[in-house]
Amino acid sequence: MHPPSLSRRELLRLTSCGFGYLAMAGLAGAAGADLTPRPPKLTARAKRVIFLCMSGGPAQLDTFEYKPQVGSKPHPGSVTEFKQRGQSGAWVSELMPHTARHADKLCVLNAMYCDTGNHAQSFLQLHTGDRLRPCPSLGSWVTYGLGSENYNLPGFISLNTAKPSVYASACLPPIFEGTPIGTNGEDMTKATISNISGEHLPAEVKRQQLDFIQAMNKGHLAQHDDPRLEGVIQTMELGFRMQSAAPELLDLSRESKATLERYCVGKSYDVGTCKPSDFGRQCLLARRFAEAGVRFIEVNHGSWDQHTDHRRDLAANCQATDAPVAALLDDLNLRGLLEDTLVVWGGEFGRPGLTPGDGKDQTGHSHRAFTFWLAGGGVKAGYTHGRTNDTGAECVAGKVHFRDLHATILHLLGLDHERLAFTQGGRSIRLTGVQGGSVVKEILA
Amino acid sequence: MFKPTPALIPLQNLLAVLGWLLVLPVTAADMTPERRAFFETKIRPVLVKQCYECHAVGAKKIGGKLLLDSPGELVGGGESGPAMLPGRPDESLIIQALRYEGPEMPPKHRLPESVVNDFVTWVKMGAPDPRANQPKSARKEPATDKASLWSFQPVTNPKPPTVRTKDWTRDPLDVFVLARIESAGLAPAKDAAPATLIRRLHFDLIGLPPTAAEVQEFVRACSGGKRASAIAQLVDRLLTSPHFGERWGRHWLDVARYGESNGNDGLSRNASFPHAWRFRDYVIQSFNDDVPYDRFVTEQIAGDLLPTETPAQRDRLLVATGFLALGCKPAKAMNDNFDMDVVADQIAVVGSGIMGLSVGCARCHDHKHDPIPARDYYALAGIFKSTETLWGAGGYEKLTAPETPLHELKAAPKVEPASEKLNPVRASKKAPPKPAFPYPPGAPLAMGVREAKTVGDCKLNIEGESKKLGPSIPRGFLTACVTTGEPVAVDAQQSGRLQLAQWLVRGDHPQTARVMANRVWQHLMDRGLVRTPDDFGVYGDRPSHPELLDHLATRFVADGWSVKRLIRSIVLSRTYQLDSDSDARTRAADPDNTLLARHNRRRLDAEVLRDAMLVASGGLDPSPGKGSLIQHDDVLINLMGDLHQTSTHRSVYLLHLRNSMPVELTAFNLPDGTTVTGKRDETTLPTQALYLMNSPFLVTESKRLAATLLKTSESESARIRSAFLRTLTREPSRSEAQQASGFLRRAESGLMQSAPDSETRQHTVWAAFCQALLASNELRYLD
Repeated sequence: MHPPSLSRRELLRLTSCGFGYLAMAGLAGAAGADLTPRPPKLTARAKRVIFLCMSGGPAQLDTFEYKPQVGSKPHPGSVTEFKQRGQSGAWVSELMPHTARHADKLCVLNAMYCDTGNHAQSFLQLHTGDRLRPCPSLGSWVTYGLGSENYNLPGFISLNTAKPSVYASACLPPIFEGTPIGTNGEDMTKATISNISGEHLPAEVKRQQLDFIQAMNKGHLAQHDDPRLEGVIQTMELGFRMQSAAPELLDLSRESKATLERYCVGKSYDVGTCKPSDFGRQCLLARRFAEAGVRFIEVNHGSWDQHTDHRRDLAANCQATDAPVAALLDDLNLRGLLEDTLVVWGGEFGRPGLTPGDGKDQTGHSHRAFTFWLAGGGVKAGYTHGRTNDTGAECVAGKVHFRDLHATILHLLGLDHERLAFTQGGRSIRLTGVQGGSVVKEILA
Repeated sequence: MFKPTPALIPLQNLLAVLGWLLVLPVTAADMTPERRAFFETKIRPVLVKQCYECHAVGAKKIGGKLLLDSPGELVGGGESGPAMLPGRPDESLIIQALRYEGPEMPPKHRLPESVVNDFVTWVKMGAPDPRANQPKSARKEPATDKASLWSFQPVTNPKPPTVRTKDWTRDPLDVFVLARIESAGLAPAKDAAPATLIRRLHFDLIGLPPTAAEVQEFVRACSGGKRASAIAQLVDRLLTSPHFGERWGRHWLDVARYGESNGNDGLSRNASFPHAWRFRDYVIQSFNDDVPYDRFVTEQIAGDLLPTETPAQRDRLLVATGFLALGCKPAKAMNDNFDMDVVADQIAVVGSGIMGLSVGCARCHDHKHDPIPARDYYALAGIFKSTETLWGAGGYEKLTAPETPLHELKAAPKVEPASEKLNPVRASKKAPPKPAFPYPPGAPLAMGVREAKTVGDCKLNIEGESKKLGPSIPRGFLTACVTTGEPVAVDAQQSGRLQLAQWLVRGDHPQTARVMANRVWQHLMDRGLVRTPDDFGVYGDRPSHPELLDHLATRFVADGWSVKRLIRSIVLSRTYQLDSDSDARTRAADPDNTLLARHNRRRLDAEVLRDAMLVASGGLDPSPGKGSLIQHDDVLINLMGDLHQTSTHRSVYLLHLRNSMPVELTAFNLPDGTTVTGKRDETTLPTQALYLMNSPFLVTESKRLAATLLKTSESESARIRSAFLRTLTREPSRSEAQQASGFLRRAESGLMQSAPDSETRQHTVWAAFCQALLASNELRYLD
């Protein structure tokens, strides 16, 4: 069944007969009301998403889009060395030697564009489709549409995250909100889920205690018809269930030394704009969450906003992320997970190219043309889509807006962006908004 | 040549005058044939070949919004100010750029010396320019439609509209609200029940719950037609409570981006601010004393420049200026822009905090959507550059921030530091540093600002880089905020902070009163009339009730900027006292409650939740927390481990270290203290559930309450009743009492194995029960 558009009142009607673990059986068919997994109507090529969010605007011309000098006049282009890789012959910068090993798995979108070159607004648009107003995050939409494969974990986890507006469920029920683990600026080597366990009561009594709390909460809700109060009741259940699954998942001590080294766990780089993020630990956690059935996992690294000292900071950002991303792709591939896991790499926009030999080391923002890559989950491998002009400043063919990317991600998951909706105050709200988006058919495998 | 003397010339007039005087000499320069020939042979070809690609009408993207194909535009200038001052080549941006001093133009290669010299000669001549002025300006005119620039229009005093149900309204503000509800064909909710109302008033005004006895007494007092007087009495009692300032002061501390350490400087260093707590106490006391808001703002921006009569008054005013010194600074190391970063924080807190305008965007370029040109930013920057900011030792780490002196207080008592054995911070310190500004141990000091040794205007920083300097911008304020009265001008001999404060709190300033009235409304009604309290600009929200907002702002100013009187008016209105549930039709028609036909249900915020739990458990020490745990410690807190200690004082007194906030508060959207936060986020997360289930704070307070119950009541039913009264300030219903009893029995048997000792088991069972009540939605939400 396709997730129907549910209003809050319908939701309330559906769920006020009982909650959480007690009512799960009765709710299993009611798509969109909780985290119960529900099959999508369309054929799904992917079951989950790992979003490698590179905040700040990664410089596409020095990573994945090669723009050599053409003609006699020097012009903006790539200033790092590129090589052709794999069977596909895709050009990948020398700053990404490990990711380059996977060139034949990547589907590179070179003609991405969006509406604004302001970080905050564009970052919001990348996550929610909207630049200005609070709207549900992509991960919330996906979880709303598909539920979670693991009943004991949130459907949407955001590691090293920015402010709540980017993982907010907004008008969707709070159970679809992203659960943050570590926020920007926090020490990611220790970031965890606080209070995940407590020894003050045995598990059995904790369950009895929660039953009593929920009985009180339901009595309260009966007097005050309010979806937020209901959201709390659901998240109390989820929180309770997480105690059984999350501690083990967060504990990397059983991973082999070799694995920790491949992912560079514990290594951080603090160079210019490149901030410590223990990106390796994030990627390893992402793999473990994916294995455990979390629907949407976002990992973050930044900032790629190298206005000055472009070369130095870009190199550091690449060094911090390259090996961990490659290790993640290796592991997903080895475990057969890449088949149905869609990996997405990109940031809120890109950067204009530098002109070789002009002595400058500064870039700005480019929202008219930049690069994303996807891998796994039903996209063509070793494929490049979209073209820009000689300087990489303008899209020439195969343009993909954030809205198109969103529509495509939903499509790969078996969700129709035009039908995945939530009704609020008589308005039907969708991820791709009133402007809509188009599925990028050319990249579907 | 006209040479302006900025001193005491009203800024707006000055700009207008300058504009005229500078444009005229160029366009009307005596155009002799020689001059024309010079221009046509030496200047125009270069302009066309080297500059027009980016600086002419029709260029793909106009660089810096500067056009060079039109004489008027050359002097009018782009984003970085006038490109040329005729007759003054050294001060002209175009010459500086050609010489590669500051901005470097043309960007790809420097022009030959001889060409540059031609331009110098030309500017010296007065820049004769035979070209016709292009009609089209590249400078994007700021959006001028009234709707998007509503907050720049003068505050009006609208006449209350007419309403049908006249006897419903109690305060003029109700009329504005009711008119909208009626015109939508809806009706307001019923009045809130007294028990609901007293809880609402207690939390809103003092941030603490009423006791069960107070609730009962109030319900009694409201009966028999005495509701209005009972409410008024209660409100007046709460407004004079010393806890009022702890609640409302905390709201202001969110705006003032308060923190007791610098926060991550970008190099993972986080220097303590051992004296920041004095600002916290100043804010709490000011709200308790109902210091008029215009005075309150002035004290925080220019307290050091105000006259005083006693040492205590002087101390207070110096502490107030901590407002400008508490900011989160990026590291000094390898940062040429450090001084301007400090200024940026000050402009941001004044801009967003007081005016609701994100002036900071104009640091690098003209504001993209608000009418704030970069020149206005640097007019303000000049004021703060002429100000010395005193943040203290910076953890004695030069790479994070250079040491500064501090304000030395005269009347405040000296507090000797505890012995090193008792103080984990001091005990763990390695070698004692040699302070550049030594003060005796325990000397009373304060962060703050004072006039810099030299004052003067600031040069425009092109693209926000302090090494790329544009023209000097006369100190001043925002040109788009039009005030009608006598203009305030910056005194050339001073920084201009005092005049800035005076300008902000003029009764006719378009934003200041509106922004604060909206903040007060928001804290009482959950949402502001403008839902983006820190952004009244083009990208911010429009007011849902513009007339009501202006009505409140007008009243606020007319009532002597008294925050307490504004609060009193709002809470005594019928609108405030509505029930938070309304009929289904109204809810369906207005799900967002834009029309204010009901009260908004709210979640208790982080501090209030902790305080309410402490009140319920009996663990709260209601006396003000004294000083700070780190008040003697200039350290890098990132090297110190956990500095927090358990406390039973109200949450506002906990140690608010940036990037290391108290764990009792962080689960519930505590702001990080680095930016102005007029409205906190509200997330609903499983991690909050985990906090309620497992956090040491909940466990401790549950045990405390259980111990009290076991001590004071004999029977199970008396204990259950007592627990409900203490936590939810009401009796349990019969079914609740039964559910409670059932839980206690089940928990008892569930604990047989892990707690074989019956007394321990009793305590554990009752603690589990108390924890459940503390974690319940009824305690955590406010109707």
